[in-house]
Amino acid sequence: MKRAIPVLALSVAGLVPVWIYSPGAAHEGELSEVAAPLAQEQTQQQAAPQTTAPQTTGAAPKTTQQQAQNRTVSGPAVNTSEGTVQVQVTLQGTKIVDVKALRAPNSNPTRMALPLLRESALKAQSADIDTVSGATATSEGYKQSLQAAIDGAQ
Amino acid sequence: MAVRRVEHIMGLPISVDLRDGDAALAERAFAWLREADAQFSPFKPGSEVSRLDRGELTREELTPDLVEVLSLCDWYEQSTGGAFTARAPGRGLDPCAVVKGWAVQRAADMLRQGGATSFCVNAGGDVVTAGEPEPGKPWRVGVRHPDLADQLSVVLGVRDGAVATSALYERGQHILDGRTGQPVSGIVSVTVFSDDLAIADTTATAAFALGRDGIEWAAGQEGCEVFVVDEDRRVYSSPGLPVHIC
Repeated sequence: MKRAIPVLALSVAGLVPVWIYSPGAAHEGELSEVAAPLAQEQTQQQAAPQTTAPQTTGAAPKTTQQQAQNRTVSGPAVNTSEGTVQVQVTLQGTKIVDVKALRAPNSNPTRMALPLLRESALKAQSADIDTVSGATATSEGYKQSLQAAIDGAQ
Repeated sequence: MAVRRVEHIMGLPISVDLRDGDAALAERAFAWLREADAQFSPFKPGSEVSRLDRGELTREELTPDLVEVLSLCDWYEQSTGGAFTARAPGRGLDPCAVVKGWAVQRAADMLRQGGATSFCVNAGGDVVTAGEPEPGKPWRVGVRHPDLADQLSVVLGVRDGAVATSALYERGQHILDGRTGQPVSGIVSVTVFSDDLAIADTTATAAFALGRDGIEWAAGQEGCEVFVVDEDRRVYSSPGLPVHIC
Protein backbone atom coordinates (compact mmCIF):
# COMPACT_ATOMS: atom_id res chain seq x y z
CA MET A 1 0.00 0.00 0.00
CA LYS A 2 2.79 2.42 0.87
CA ARG A 3 4.46 1.80 -2.50
CA ALA A 4 1.44 3.10 -4.29
CA ILE A 5 1.80 6.56 -2.84
CA PRO A 6 4.86 7.77 -4.84
CA VAL A 7 3.26 6.45 -8.00
CA LEU A 8 0.06 8.27 -7.33
CA ALA A 9 1.95 11.39 -6.33
CA LEU A 10 3.70 11.26 -9.69
CA SER A 11 0.41 10.97 -11.45
CA VAL A 12 -0.74 13.97 -9.49
CA ALA A 13 2.16 15.91 -10.96
CA GLY A 14 0.89 14.80 -14.34
CA LEU A 15 -2.51 16.17 -13.51
CA VAL A 16 -1.15 19.64 -12.87
CA PRO A 17 -1.56 20.88 -16.44
CA VAL A 18 -5.08 19.52 -16.40
CA TRP A 19 -5.87 21.42 -13.32
CA ILE A 20 -4.53 24.82 -14.13
CA TYR A 21 -6.71 25.09 -17.19
CA SER A 22 -9.93 23.74 -15.81
CA PRO A 23 -10.65 25.17 -12.39
CA GLY A 24 -13.85 23.53 -11.32
CA ALA A 25 -14.66 22.38 -14.84
CA ALA A 26 -14.00 18.66 -14.55
CA HIS A 27 -16.32 16.34 -12.72
CA GLU A 28 -14.45 14.81 -9.87
CA GLY A 29 -16.20 11.49 -10.20
CA GLU A 30 -15.00 11.12 -13.76
CA LEU A 31 -11.50 12.11 -12.90
CA SER A 32 -11.17 9.44 -10.29
CA GLU A 33 -12.06 6.75 -12.81
CA VAL A 34 -9.41 7.89 -15.20
CA ALA A 35 -6.65 8.70 -12.82
CA ALA A 36 -6.29 5.23 -11.36
CA PRO A 37 -5.53 3.31 -14.59
CA LEU A 38 -3.31 6.19 -15.65
CA ALA A 39 -1.05 5.73 -12.68
CA GLN A 40 -0.73 2.04 -13.52
CA GLU A 41 0.09 2.70 -17.11
CA GLN A 42 2.72 5.27 -16.47
CA THR A 43 4.73 2.81 -14.47
CA GLN A 44 4.23 -0.06 -16.92
CA GLN A 45 5.13 1.94 -19.97
CA GLN A 46 8.27 3.64 -18.76
CA ALA A 47 10.44 1.06 -20.47
CA ALA A 48 8.69 1.12 -23.84
CA PRO A 49 6.59 4.21 -24.19
CA GLN A 50 4.09 4.67 -27.01
CA THR A 51 4.58 1.25 -28.58
CA THR A 52 1.48 -0.57 -27.53
CA ALA A 53 -2.13 0.42 -27.32
CA PRO A 54 -3.52 0.81 -23.82
CA GLN A 55 -5.03 -2.43 -22.68
CA THR A 56 -7.40 -1.03 -20.16
CA THR A 57 -10.87 -0.14 -21.25
CA GLY A 58 -11.32 2.96 -19.17
CA ALA A 59 -12.87 1.44 -16.11
CA ALA A 60 -11.04 1.87 -12.89
CA PRO A 61 -9.60 -1.34 -11.51
CA LYS A 62 -11.81 -2.80 -8.83
CA THR A 63 -10.20 -2.88 -5.46
CA THR A 64 -11.36 -5.84 -3.46
CA GLN A 65 -10.32 -4.52 -0.10
CA GLN A 66 -12.22 -1.27 0.17
CA GLN A 67 -10.83 0.99 2.80
CA ALA A 68 -13.34 3.19 4.44
CA GLN A 69 -10.81 5.80 5.47
CA ASN A 70 -9.73 8.50 3.09
CA ARG A 71 -6.16 9.74 2.93
CA THR A 72 -4.88 12.94 1.40
CA VAL A 73 -1.58 13.31 -0.43
CA SER A 74 -0.15 16.62 -1.55
CA GLY A 75 1.77 16.79 -4.79
CA PRO A 76 4.91 18.88 -5.30
CA ALA A 77 4.63 22.57 -6.12
CA VAL A 78 5.24 22.79 -9.85
CA ASN A 79 6.30 25.95 -11.64
CA THR A 80 4.52 26.40 -14.93
CA SER A 81 4.44 29.23 -17.41
CA GLU A 82 1.12 30.22 -15.87
CA GLY A 83 2.40 30.23 -12.29
CA THR A 84 2.92 27.78 -9.45
CA VAL A 85 0.53 24.89 -9.13
CA GLN A 86 0.12 22.38 -6.34
CA VAL A 87 -2.64 19.84 -6.06
CA GLN A 88 -3.86 17.55 -3.31
CA VAL A 89 -5.52 14.21 -3.91
CA THR A 90 -7.80 12.28 -1.63
CA LEU A 91 -7.47 8.51 -1.85
CA GLN A 92 -9.85 5.82 -0.84
CA GLY A 93 -7.74 2.69 -0.98
CA THR A 94 -5.88 3.10 -4.27
CA LYS A 95 -8.63 5.11 -5.91
CA ILE A 96 -8.48 8.86 -6.26
CA VAL A 97 -11.80 10.19 -5.07
CA ASP A 98 -11.03 13.88 -4.97
CA VAL A 99 -8.47 16.29 -6.34
CA LYS A 100 -8.21 19.91 -5.42
CA ALA A 101 -5.78 22.69 -6.17
CA LEU A 102 -3.82 23.94 -3.15
CA ARG A 103 -2.14 26.58 -5.26
CA ALA A 104 -3.33 27.66 -8.69
CA PRO A 105 -2.51 30.64 -10.85
CA ASN A 106 -5.21 33.21 -11.35
CA SER A 107 -4.85 33.47 -15.10
CA ASN A 108 -7.10 31.24 -17.15
CA PRO A 109 -6.12 31.96 -20.72
CA THR A 110 -8.06 29.42 -22.71
CA ARG A 111 -10.99 28.35 -20.57
CA MET A 112 -10.36 24.91 -22.00
CA ALA A 113 -9.40 21.76 -20.18
CA LEU A 114 -5.98 20.47 -21.09
CA PRO A 115 -5.70 16.80 -20.19
CA LEU A 116 -3.50 14.25 -21.88
CA LEU A 117 -4.79 12.36 -24.88
CA ARG A 118 -4.32 9.03 -23.13
CA GLU A 119 -6.70 10.06 -20.39
CA SER A 120 -9.41 11.04 -22.85
CA ALA A 121 -8.83 7.97 -25.02
CA LEU A 122 -9.05 5.57 -22.09
CA LYS A 123 -12.54 6.78 -21.35
CA ALA A 124 -13.59 6.68 -24.99
CA GLN A 125 -12.65 3.02 -25.57
CA SER A 126 -15.44 1.70 -23.41
CA ALA A 127 -18.21 3.45 -25.35
CA ASP A 128 -20.42 1.87 -27.97
CA ILE A 129 -20.53 4.15 -30.98
CA ASP A 130 -22.78 4.72 -33.98
CA THR A 131 -20.26 6.34 -36.30
CA VAL A 132 -16.67 7.61 -36.50
CA SER A 133 -15.39 11.09 -37.27
CA GLY A 134 -11.87 11.30 -38.65
CA ALA A 135 -9.74 13.00 -41.24
CA THR A 136 -11.04 12.43 -44.74
CA ALA A 137 -11.04 8.73 -45.41
CA THR A 138 -10.40 7.81 -49.01
CA SER A 139 -12.36 5.01 -50.58
CA GLU A 140 -9.21 2.86 -50.46
CA GLY A 141 -8.54 3.52 -46.78
CA TYR A 142 -12.15 2.97 -45.88
CA LYS A 143 -12.03 -0.83 -46.17
CA GLN A 144 -9.91 -1.22 -43.05
CA SER A 145 -11.61 1.54 -41.10
CA LEU A 146 -13.77 1.39 -38.01
CA GLN A 147 -16.55 3.03 -40.01
CA ALA A 148 -16.50 0.18 -42.55
CA ALA A 149 -16.84 -2.25 -39.68
CA ILE A 150 -19.82 -0.29 -38.36
CA ASP A 151 -21.45 -0.12 -41.80
CA GLY A 152 -20.93 -3.84 -42.31
CA ALA A 153 -22.26 -4.68 -38.90
CA GLN A 154 -25.81 -3.66 -39.79
CA MET B 1 -38.28 1.61 -42.45
CA ALA B 2 -34.57 1.70 -41.88
CA VAL B 3 -32.16 2.13 -44.77
CA ARG B 4 -28.44 1.60 -44.62
CA ARG B 5 -26.30 2.28 -47.66
CA VAL B 6 -22.71 3.13 -48.57
CA GLU B 7 -21.69 4.68 -51.86
CA HIS B 8 -18.38 6.10 -53.05
CA ILE B 9 -18.74 9.65 -54.39
CA MET B 10 -16.10 12.41 -54.66
CA GLY B 11 -13.55 9.75 -53.78
CA LEU B 12 -15.20 9.34 -50.40
CA PRO B 13 -17.12 6.50 -48.82
CA ILE B 14 -20.47 8.03 -47.92
CA SER B 15 -22.59 6.07 -45.44
CA VAL B 16 -26.25 6.86 -44.88
CA ASP B 17 -27.91 5.34 -41.83
CA LEU B 18 -31.56 6.27 -42.13
CA ARG B 19 -33.68 5.04 -39.24
CA ASP B 20 -37.03 6.33 -40.56
CA GLY B 21 -37.10 6.79 -44.29
CA ASP B 22 -37.22 4.84 -47.49
CA ALA B 23 -34.70 3.82 -50.11
CA ALA B 24 -36.02 6.42 -52.56
CA LEU B 25 -35.23 9.22 -50.10
CA ALA B 26 -31.70 7.92 -49.62
CA GLU B 27 -31.32 7.69 -53.39
CA ARG B 28 -32.30 11.36 -53.77
CA ALA B 29 -29.55 12.35 -51.35
CA PHE B 30 -26.97 10.23 -53.18
CA ALA B 31 -28.14 11.62 -56.55
CA TRP B 32 -27.53 15.16 -55.26
CA LEU B 33 -24.02 14.23 -54.11
CA ARG B 34 -23.21 12.82 -57.57
CA GLU B 35 -24.52 16.05 -59.12
CA ALA B 36 -22.42 18.14 -56.73
CA ASP B 37 -19.34 16.12 -57.68
CA ALA B 38 -19.99 16.73 -61.38
CA GLN B 39 -20.54 20.45 -60.81
CA PHE B 40 -17.76 21.29 -58.36
CA SER B 41 -14.91 18.83 -58.92
CA PRO B 42 -11.70 20.54 -60.07
CA PHE B 43 -10.67 17.15 -61.45
CA LYS B 44 -13.50 17.00 -64.00
CA PRO B 45 -12.74 19.20 -67.03
CA GLY B 46 -16.43 19.86 -67.66
CA SER B 47 -17.29 20.96 -64.12
CA GLU B 48 -18.38 24.52 -63.40
CA VAL B 49 -15.30 24.96 -61.21
CA SER B 50 -12.94 23.86 -64.00
CA ARG B 51 -14.68 26.10 -66.53
CA LEU B 52 -14.44 29.09 -64.18
CA ASP B 53 -10.77 28.33 -63.58
CA ARG B 54 -10.10 28.26 -67.34
CA GLY B 55 -11.82 31.63 -67.73
CA GLU B 56 -14.74 30.20 -69.69
CA LEU B 57 -17.26 31.63 -67.22
CA THR B 58 -17.50 35.08 -65.70
CA ARG B 59 -18.58 35.66 -62.10
CA GLU B 60 -21.96 36.82 -63.39
CA GLU B 61 -22.51 33.51 -65.17
CA LEU B 62 -21.99 31.32 -62.12
CA THR B 63 -24.77 29.33 -60.48
CA PRO B 64 -25.94 30.60 -57.09
CA ASP B 65 -24.55 27.39 -55.56
CA LEU B 66 -21.01 28.05 -56.76
CA VAL B 67 -21.29 31.70 -55.71
CA GLU B 68 -22.22 30.46 -52.23
CA VAL B 69 -19.30 28.01 -52.13
CA LEU B 70 -16.83 30.65 -53.30
CA SER B 71 -18.09 33.18 -50.77
CA LEU B 72 -17.53 30.59 -48.02
CA CYS B 73 -14.00 30.02 -49.34
CA ASP B 74 -13.34 33.77 -49.32
CA TRP B 75 -14.72 34.22 -45.83
CA TYR B 76 -12.48 31.53 -44.35
CA GLU B 77 -9.47 32.74 -46.31
CA GLN B 78 -9.88 36.23 -44.87
CA SER B 79 -10.65 34.97 -41.39
CA THR B 80 -7.45 32.90 -41.30
CA GLY B 81 -5.23 35.53 -42.89
CA GLY B 82 -4.76 33.29 -45.90
CA ALA B 83 -3.74 30.11 -44.04
CA PHE B 84 -6.84 28.52 -45.53
CA THR B 85 -7.12 29.06 -49.26
CA ALA B 86 -8.95 27.57 -52.23
CA ARG B 87 -6.36 29.11 -54.55
CA ALA B 88 -2.92 27.87 -53.51
CA PRO B 89 -0.05 29.48 -55.47
CA GLY B 90 0.70 27.55 -58.63
CA ARG B 91 -2.44 25.46 -58.30
CA GLY B 92 -5.86 25.76 -59.86
CA LEU B 93 -9.03 26.74 -58.06
CA ASP B 94 -9.83 23.96 -55.58
CA PRO B 95 -12.87 24.59 -53.38
CA CYS B 96 -13.04 20.91 -52.30
CA ALA B 97 -12.44 21.74 -48.64
CA VAL B 98 -15.70 23.68 -48.60
CA VAL B 99 -17.67 21.69 -51.15
CA LYS B 100 -17.58 18.40 -49.30
CA GLY B 101 -19.12 19.62 -46.04
CA TRP B 102 -21.48 21.97 -47.85
CA ALA B 103 -22.79 19.28 -50.23
CA VAL B 104 -23.19 16.66 -47.50
CA GLN B 105 -25.05 19.17 -45.31
CA ARG B 106 -27.42 19.81 -48.19
CA ALA B 107 -27.93 16.06 -48.62
CA ALA B 108 -28.87 15.91 -44.95
CA ASP B 109 -31.26 18.84 -45.40
CA MET B 110 -32.91 16.90 -48.24
CA LEU B 111 -33.40 13.90 -45.97
CA ARG B 112 -35.03 16.18 -43.37
CA GLN B 113 -37.26 17.83 -45.95
CA GLY B 114 -38.24 14.36 -47.15
CA GLY B 115 -39.58 13.59 -43.69
CA ALA B 116 -36.68 11.72 -42.11
CA THR B 117 -36.20 12.58 -38.44
CA SER B 118 -33.54 10.11 -37.36
CA PHE B 119 -30.42 9.60 -39.45
CA CYS B 120 -26.66 9.74 -39.56
CA VAL B 121 -24.67 10.58 -42.68
CA ASN B 122 -20.92 9.96 -42.63
CA ALA B 123 -18.90 11.22 -45.58
CA GLY B 124 -15.32 10.04 -45.22
CA GLY B 125 -15.26 10.94 -41.54
CA ASP B 126 -17.46 14.04 -41.61
CA VAL B 127 -20.75 13.44 -39.87
CA VAL B 128 -24.24 14.97 -39.87
CA THR B 129 -26.88 13.62 -37.53
CA ALA B 130 -30.58 14.19 -36.96
CA GLY B 131 -32.74 13.21 -34.04
CA GLU B 132 -31.89 10.13 -32.01
CA PRO B 133 -31.02 6.58 -33.09
CA GLU B 134 -33.31 5.34 -30.33
CA PRO B 135 -35.51 7.26 -27.91
CA GLY B 136 -33.54 9.12 -25.25
CA LYS B 137 -30.13 8.44 -26.76
CA PRO B 138 -27.90 10.69 -28.86
CA TRP B 139 -25.93 9.53 -31.87
CA ARG B 140 -22.59 8.48 -30.43
CA VAL B 141 -19.86 9.87 -32.66
CA GLY B 142 -16.42 8.46 -31.91
CA VAL B 143 -13.47 10.63 -32.90
CA ARG B 144 -10.59 8.62 -34.31
CA HIS B 145 -7.43 8.53 -32.20
CA PRO B 146 -4.70 10.37 -34.13
CA ASP B 147 -2.12 7.64 -33.61
CA LEU B 148 -4.16 4.46 -33.31
CA ALA B 149 -6.51 3.73 -36.20
CA ASP B 150 -8.71 1.33 -34.26
CA GLN B 151 -9.13 3.52 -31.20
CA LEU B 152 -10.99 6.66 -30.26
CA SER B 153 -9.79 9.83 -28.61
CA VAL B 154 -13.23 10.97 -27.46
CA VAL B 155 -16.90 10.15 -28.02
CA LEU B 156 -19.43 12.91 -28.65
CA GLY B 157 -23.15 12.60 -28.05
CA VAL B 158 -24.93 14.43 -30.86
CA ARG B 159 -28.60 14.86 -31.75
CA ASP B 160 -29.09 17.47 -34.48
CA GLY B 161 -25.55 18.45 -35.31
CA ALA B 162 -22.42 18.02 -37.36
CA VAL B 163 -18.94 16.77 -36.50
CA ALA B 164 -15.88 17.15 -38.72
CA THR B 165 -12.26 16.23 -38.12
CA SER B 166 -9.10 17.39 -39.84
CA ALA B 167 -6.00 15.41 -38.93
CA LEU B 168 -2.72 13.89 -39.98
CA TYR B 169 -2.51 10.21 -39.20
CA GLU B 170 0.68 9.15 -40.90
CA ARG B 171 4.13 10.57 -41.31
CA GLY B 172 4.73 11.98 -44.76
CA GLN B 173 1.24 13.39 -45.07
CA HIS B 174 1.04 17.15 -44.89
CA ILE B 175 -1.27 20.12 -45.06
CA LEU B 176 0.28 23.38 -46.25
CA ASP B 177 -0.16 26.75 -44.60
CA GLY B 178 -1.50 28.96 -47.40
CA ARG B 179 0.42 31.93 -45.98
CA THR B 180 3.85 30.33 -46.17
CA GLY B 181 3.46 27.31 -48.41
CA GLN B 182 5.16 25.33 -45.64
CA PRO B 183 3.75 22.20 -43.99
CA VAL B 184 1.66 22.95 -40.93
CA SER B 185 2.91 21.83 -37.51
CA GLY B 186 1.71 22.08 -33.95
CA ILE B 187 -1.49 20.08 -33.97
CA VAL B 188 -2.30 16.57 -35.15
CA SER B 189 -6.09 16.47 -34.98
CA VAL B 190 -8.88 19.08 -34.89
CA THR B 191 -12.52 18.12 -34.43
CA VAL B 192 -15.27 20.72 -34.71
CA PHE B 193 -18.88 20.33 -33.59
CA SER B 194 -21.45 22.71 -35.07
CA ASP B 195 -25.05 22.62 -36.22
CA ASP B 196 -23.95 22.75 -39.86
CA LEU B 197 -21.40 20.52 -41.58
CA ALA B 198 -20.25 23.19 -44.03
CA ILE B 199 -19.17 25.25 -41.01
CA ALA B 200 -17.80 22.34 -38.98
CA ASP B 201 -15.76 20.93 -41.86
CA THR B 202 -14.34 24.21 -43.11
CA THR B 203 -13.56 25.41 -39.59
CA ALA B 204 -11.67 22.16 -38.88
CA THR B 205 -9.68 22.42 -42.11
CA ALA B 206 -8.91 26.11 -41.59
CA ALA B 207 -7.93 25.57 -37.95
CA PHE B 208 -5.52 22.88 -39.02
CA ALA B 209 -3.94 25.19 -41.58
CA LEU B 210 -3.39 27.77 -38.80
CA GLY B 211 -1.41 25.30 -36.69
CA ARG B 212 -1.34 26.00 -32.97
CA ASP B 213 -3.06 29.36 -33.48
CA GLY B 214 -5.98 27.41 -34.91
CA ILE B 215 -6.99 26.10 -31.48
CA GLU B 216 -8.14 29.45 -30.11
CA TRP B 217 -9.32 30.58 -33.51
CA ALA B 218 -11.65 27.60 -33.96
CA ALA B 219 -12.91 27.78 -30.37
CA GLY B 220 -13.80 31.41 -31.01
CA GLN B 221 -15.89 30.67 -34.09
CA GLU B 222 -19.58 31.27 -33.51
CA GLY B 223 -21.52 28.09 -32.82
CA CYS B 224 -18.40 25.90 -32.88
CA GLU B 225 -17.09 23.62 -30.14
CA VAL B 226 -13.66 22.08 -30.60
CA PHE B 227 -11.58 19.07 -29.59
CA VAL B 228 -7.91 19.38 -30.50
CA VAL B 229 -4.91 17.09 -29.99
CA ASP B 230 -1.57 18.85 -30.26
CA GLU B 231 1.84 17.41 -31.18
CA ASP B 232 2.59 16.71 -27.54
CA ARG B 233 -0.65 14.70 -27.33
CA ARG B 234 -2.33 17.23 -25.11
CA VAL B 235 -6.04 17.68 -25.55
CA TYR B 236 -7.87 20.99 -25.80
CA SER B 237 -11.60 20.74 -25.38
CA SER B 238 -13.98 23.69 -25.39
CA PRO B 239 -16.47 23.90 -22.51
CA GLY B 240 -19.58 23.36 -24.63
CA LEU B 241 -18.32 20.23 -26.40
CA PRO B 242 -21.01 17.51 -26.11
CA VAL B 243 -18.76 14.78 -24.73
CA HIS B 244 -20.69 11.54 -24.35
CA ILE B 245 -20.41 10.19 -20.83
CA CYS B 246 -20.25 6.42 -21.11
